[in-house]
Amino acid sequence: MNWQALLLTLRLSLVTASALLLIALPIAYWIAYSPRRWKFLAQAATALPLVMPPTVLGFYVLVAFGSSSPLGRLYQHWTGHTLAFTFEGLVVGSILYSMPFAVQPLVNSFLAVDPQLIQASRVLGASRLSTFFRVVLPLSISGVATAVALTFAHTFGEFGVVLMVGGDIPGLTRTISIDVFDKVEAGSYAAANSTSLVLLAVSFVILALVYAWNRRAWPRTPWA
Amino acid sequence: MEPPRLAAHALGMRPPDAATEPMASPDHLHPCPALEVLARKRFVAGAAPGFSLEIHFAVPAGISILFGGSGAGKTTTLGMVAGIVQPDQGRICLAGRVLFDSAAAIDVDVSRRSVGYVFQDLALFPHLTVERNVRYGLRHLPEPERRRRAGEILESFRIAHLGRRMPAEISGGERQRTALARALVTRPRVLLLDEPLSALDAATKGRIVDDLRAWNRERRIPILYVTHSREEVFALGERVIVFEKGKISAQGPPQDVLGAPRTETVAQLAGFENIFDAEVAAVHEAAGTMTCRLLPGAVQLEVPLARIEARIESGVESGAAVRVGVRAGDILLAIEEPRGLSARNVLRGTLTSLEEKDFKVLARVDCGAAFTVLLTPDACRSLALAPGQAVWLILKTHSCHLLRGDAELVRDPDRPKP
Amino acid sequence: MKNFLARSAVVLAAVLACLAPVSVRAAGPLTIAAAADLQFAMRALIQGFERQSGAPVRLVLGSSGNLTAEIEHGAPFDLFFSADVAHPEQLEREAVAEPGSLVRYAVGRLVVYVPPGSPLDLNEQGLSALENPAVRKIAIANPGFAPYGRAAVAALRHAGLYEKLQPRLVLGEDVSQTTQFVVSGNAQAALTALALMLAPGAKPPGRYWLVPPEDYPPLEQAAVIVKGSSQKQLARAFLAYIETPEARSIFSRYGFALPSEKRP
Repeated sequence: MNWQALLLTLRLSLVTASALLLIALPIAYWIAYSPRRWKFLAQAATALPLVMPPTVLGFYVLVAFGSSSPLGRLYQHWTGHTLAFTFEGLVVGSILYSMPFAVQPLVNSFLAVDPQLIQASRVLGASRLSTFFRVVLPLSISGVATAVALTFAHTFGEFGVVLMVGGDIPGLTRTISIDVFDKVEAGSYAAANSTSLVLLAVSFVILALVYAWNRRAWPRTPWA
Repeated sequence: MEPPRLAAHALGMRPPDAATEPMASPDHLHPCPALEVLARKRFVAGAAPGFSLEIHFAVPAGISILFGGSGAGKTTTLGMVAGIVQPDQGRICLAGRVLFDSAAAIDVDVSRRSVGYVFQDLALFPHLTVERNVRYGLRHLPEPERRRRAGEILESFRIAHLGRRMPAEISGGERQRTALARALVTRPRVLLLDEPLSALDAATKGRIVDDLRAWNRERRIPILYVTHSREEVFALGERVIVFEKGKISAQGPPQDVLGAPRTETVAQLAGFENIFDAEVAAVHEAAGTMTCRLLPGAVQLEVPLARIEARIESGVESGAAVRVGVRAGDILLAIEEPRGLSARNVLRGTLTSLEEKDFKVLARVDCGAAFTVLLTPDACRSLALAPGQAVWLILKTHSCHLLRGDAELVRDPDRPKP
Repeated sequence: MKNFLARSAVVLAAVLACLAPVSVRAAGPLTIAAAADLQFAMRALIQGFERQSGAPVRLVLGSSGNLTAEIEHGAPFDLFFSADVAHPEQLEREAVAEPGSLVRYAVGRLVVYVPPGSPLDLNEQGLSALENPAVRKIAIANPGFAPYGRAAVAALRHAGLYEKLQPRLVLGEDVSQTTQFVVSGNAQAALTALALMLAPGAKPPGRYWLVPPEDYPPLEQAAVIVKGSSQKQLARAFLAYIETPEARSIFSRYGFALPSEKRP
């Protein structure tokens, strides 16, 4: 059991979920409330990773940040190394890959807030931003929890992007899913199996905890 | 003699008192009215596509009722004053300050209009306690001031003991008072109320309106009160603005507008073809009736003693000004003096006119006060009615409705308070 | 509701029926599973074979380990061209390969590949050039399961450089990905297969240096016929073809040494 890989994966999921929450909130806010007519293009763009093969995404991250691209050269200039083969590279790839899993639940929960409450807040003198933080966000807390949970779980099991961008460096980019893959490739099926079971168990426990916490947000069945 | 405890009317509200709240007619308006709205808006999508709103009204401080059927544009008008809805064209001016002017491209942001709005569904924040709900609009004040003002208004609306509760845990009347307190604590320059009493029982309604009135007496601001209940119009309104399909079909004091309707629809909405200012001449508590003298003449009607209400302090006594309404359909007409009737009100008068319309005949009779009586064409023919004829009107006591408005009741200052 | 269920069932059955033939091993083209380093050479060989025999051939590429696992689990391949000998021997032991069909067909060559503009002077310094601090990342195939990875580690150890350079290593799943790391500008050098440097019309930009074959265990590559194949006749014909002079010259051209050259 590769504990190093497990810890690395947990760290990656945590960092990605936190970062994505901060990134997805303004995006979801804009999608939910913007009156712009071309909004649907932005929605399609954020949903793209849902249908894109992760390896394609990883490949694009690799090329976009490689030293042959201006972005890559800029990054190298700042940091002294490329984005690939680093933990940060995995985070960037994971953020892109899990974006729709964060944005969609947030948008849905914002839209579920009674518009009259938003109007009431505005009439009482609150700015749009203040209304967002004092009314919309507190009433969307279950959407936030779902976004965090899905992002975490999704990143935990991520493989394609990490494979393309990570370089399989133990302790740095050898996540648990890569570890399982390596074991399978090398023919160590027993080890692969035990690692996979641990992966499955940990994911399940984490998700169960989040949904348990979210329970009180669910309405009772109306006919009960 | 001890003044009888009066029992409130069906609405549990008090009649207007001319001495404290004079009616303002458009002619006497201050050159800069408290609130003026001129707006035009066309809806192309949404719930009512094709609906267009075209209105112009100006009101002074005090309660102005926006009256009309559903979909007539009343709530949209409130939205435009609040800044939630943008007129296509127009001008909205509040206490000399322009909130919206399409020509000058002025559109003051919702949050800066200093508007108090009690929504139809109240829109209380479900995740905040009553106290936090009320304090919501006071963010810009320092904490001690916030606490003081919130505490004050919670006390005066009698919901201070509910401060820590959530909106879901309190009753309908308490929620209404919370919504009112929340809107009023910010000391808005205009108050918008959208059918605030529709779901409440009579006693609760009365109390809330009294709270509102008390608050209003201290801070005179224009209040736009939307309702489709004619009882509330009479009970509350100093003036009423009638909305019909996006246009204003009438405005003025309630009895002018609804008592002498200029359009058929307003009359229908009114439901009371006969409305009179009256004065209580005598109270017969044991019999459960009162005698009212219809102003300005000498006609007297026996009307029911209003029912007991929970607020013991209020009461109607001799000399009190009230309003009496009688439906045209509730009045009987006789061509000879009737005898042996149970009805307590028999008035002699002269038939002044007959008007036939839609299988109905409206007979106008002058018996010291002008009454409208509804008859069937057959009845008209069989009685061979003709203008100028002497007739008798028969009104049952219970067909005479006491309509209460606002204002402190006139009390004898020497009489000790009960 | 019943109508809806009935209709859904019909649609589902139709979809499944369409999928069914795919899982049945159809008597069709010859399916060859080949290791990544063979991608260019194999295509040329297949062209030659198809011209000669008229039989259609289908190519599946992957890493030797991956393909081995798939064959063990019944993948419908007819021939397996591995990048090493160990995997085909494993299949023989497991009785998944046709007994006696194992044939060594080529020997791979390891190179150091650098992008254009690289400051490394490999001709002068050989592997030691990799010590240059400008080389932040060195890509090799994963030695856990890729033959070229094992060879790379052996060569580095031979040069006494492994401990020093190990922190800079990044692992590719196979030699293709290893090479890609340099092409995309993320690694500054890669130890990869010569075969991938010689693709006609698709040579990766940059230059390469042949690592002396004595510095690492020979990358002998073997092929086997899969036991479950329904095209054994055709498979044997293909194996015969690769022994022909025409095939041999293709192997040479694409960067492979021939087994007979290595036989002691």
